[in-house]
Amino acid sequence: MRRITREEREKAFAYPKKPEVIEKQKLPVRYHVEEGLEVEGRPRRFLEAMAAVLKHTNYHFILDHYARIGAKCSRCSVACQIYQATGDSRDIPCMRSELLLSVYRRHFTVGGLLKGRIAGGEGLTDEEVQRMADSFWDCTACRRCTFECPMGIDHGLVTHLGRYILSEIGIAPRALVVSTREQLTGKTRNTSAIPLPALADTLEFLEEEMAETKGVEVKFPVDVEGADYLFIAPVSDYMMEAETLMGIACVMHATGASWTIGTGDYDAINYGLFYSDHALEEILKMMEAEVKRLGVNVILIGECCHASLSANYFYNTFADHKLPVINILEYTHDALKAGKLKIDPDIIDQSVTYHDPCNIARPGWIIEQPREILRAFCRDYREMTPNGRDNYCCGGGGGTVSIDEIRPYRTIVGGKRKADQVRRTGAHYLVAPCANCKKQFREIFEDNGLDCELVGLHDLLYKAIILSPDGVAWRDPAGMEMEA
Amino acid sequence: MDLLLDFGRGPLFRLAIALAILGLIRQFALTFYGMAEALHHTSDRTLPWWDMTRRTFAWLLPLGTLWRSKPVYSLLSFLFHIGLLVVPLTLAAHIGLWERSSGLAWWPALPQPLADRLTLLVLVAGPLLFLARLLIRHMRQLSRLQDFLWPLLLTVPFLSGYLCANASLSATAYRSWMLVHVYSADLILVLIPFTKIAHCVLLPLSQYAGGIAWKFPKGAGAKVVATLRKKESWV
Repeated sequence: MRRITREEREKAFAYPKKPEVIEKQKLPVRYHVEEGLEVEGRPRRFLEAMAAVLKHTNYHFILDHYARIGAKCSRCSVACQIYQATGDSRDIPCMRSELLLSVYRRHFTVGGLLKGRIAGGEGLTDEEVQRMADSFWDCTACRRCTFECPMGIDHGLVTHLGRYILSEIGIAPRALVVSTREQLTGKTRNTSAIPLPALADTLEFLEEEMAETKGVEVKFPVDVEGADYLFIAPVSDYMMEAETLMGIACVMHATGASWTIGTGDYDAINYGLFYSDHALEEILKMMEAEVKRLGVNVILIGECCHASLSANYFYNTFADHKLPVINILEYTHDALKAGKLKIDPDIIDQSVTYHDPCNIARPGWIIEQPREILRAFCRDYREMTPNGRDNYCCGGGGGTVSIDEIRPYRTIVGGKRKADQVRRTGAHYLVAPCANCKKQFREIFEDNGLDCELVGLHDLLYKAIILSPDGVAWRDPAGMEMEA
Repeated sequence: MDLLLDFGRGPLFRLAIALAILGLIRQFALTFYGMAEALHHTSDRTLPWWDMTRRTFAWLLPLGTLWRSKPVYSLLSFLFHIGLLVVPLTLAAHIGLWERSSGLAWWPALPQPLADRLTLLVLVAGPLLFLARLLIRHMRQLSRLQDFLWPLLLTVPFLSGYLCANASLSATAYRSWMLVHVYSADLILVLIPFTKIAHCVLLPLSQYAGGIAWKFPKGAGAKVVATLRKKESWV
């Protein structure tokens, strides 16, 4: 894969911010940060925040371990698609982690303290804080580098911690902060500010749509107490991914499961995973309140990988009572294996390829299941290479997709490798079962001139699943052909 | 010179190896304790233990995984490690040294021709690793002082030892090279627990530590906010 050209580099790294803002905030990062950012004494406040975080969390021992064990072999650079695109050694994962580990060594170890006294040196500087603010958000936290490190260093964890400490001194992308604030304290209690009446209208509209296309009444149950499954989608799906939701509703209808959407919490998105452990916990506590209110037994997350990982990996850490958390792909796969889904194998005759979203594929959690579903009804299924656990990130991971102002960086640098992969398959459909990946891919296709249609897995399933007794999968809705 | 030699092989050696072993035990114990404490603080202890164990063993003997990236560098490093680990521990002359110091000598010695070949391996791989760090741009930018010095420092006892064992040296020359050999080895031993060479005991813990680190303690976020005396979370 070729490195980015100078022209591409200029476009990708152009500053979208006004120079006077950069001057005032003394923060030459490309993402917007909220107004009122304190600039004075930033290194001191960074160290205080770091000390507080290390005191109350579990990060201390792992920072110590990583600070001692790094071999600086640069094997991680081979795996990192950002480094492969830019060729800049600052993008080597170990170099990025060293930004935080060197601060730890210098300020939080006895050896570092002694060395500082003897050799001199001023310790952490404001420039170094600015460099961290820049670098930790260039990384998509895809954790591909963890497969190459012989010392077992998880650079994604160091990036995660770096971002957390920065957020405690006010440095975090405004896009994520504003959405999270609306979710935790706003009136609508979700990241897209969709009010409840709008949700109700959307669900009604989708039910009408499904009745026409499927020939059967398929409902979205709402606030059903004692239901088995609490279904929580990334809330943006209600605005942008109608077909995904309808596909999911059809699957639930086919299995006859007892499920519900909850009006107390219908947003699975958790940006806390990207920039603040505090927000991560608070958002999951909102989910827990809804679980308690409705008395459900299983949490079912929709097509969103970071939402699935946040809930699956962290819900049971923060909740009072443990609950199984599954992703809809697992559910649909089980339903398929149990023979509960009738699918027309002739509806999808164009070529299909599949993108493994990082958060569900890297831990080895969901890799074969969506492939088995797709192979069951897609005649021309093609693989990208590498795939599965080794997949490349879409380029918008780690919350970067929600930061609109860095779109050139995302589509030129982060998404470059992925664009090449998709182009090589020549597939008509790209299936990406993740709300964030979907946004990133649409932007990659636009910016890189790729002629490929981006869909969720349940979008395709929605077209092909048979619910009516006459065995007809798809009836054209009166008037228009549904656009995929 | 004989005094220095006896000191270097006797009390200084015992001190150096004691520091090395105690230092390594300390590093291992601290990390292990940190892991146990972290696990104690979190409320969800489900971890992929089998997966972490499998990965630990895969990296301890990385015959399958090492060649995925940077195969030349990885091969050099692998061969370097074999020489580094096998020769000091199994050389006949060293077994004599352990026996004089501690009375322990139950393991068999390496045949001298094999020891010579492994030593030559180290003498070739070490400087090549140093040159790789010096000449390849991104490796040079990534390396700290110890990353440059270690491949060179480690070759010194091997070079001096090889000369003492194989070259026809005058008595003074022999004693000088032996002095270099003994003192460089003592220096290396003392530095082991304080530098990245501590990975010799920390590596087996890495996968477990990494998995445990993602299990957060409940309520930590609010405590951080309170400690920083913020009236409300900035979030």
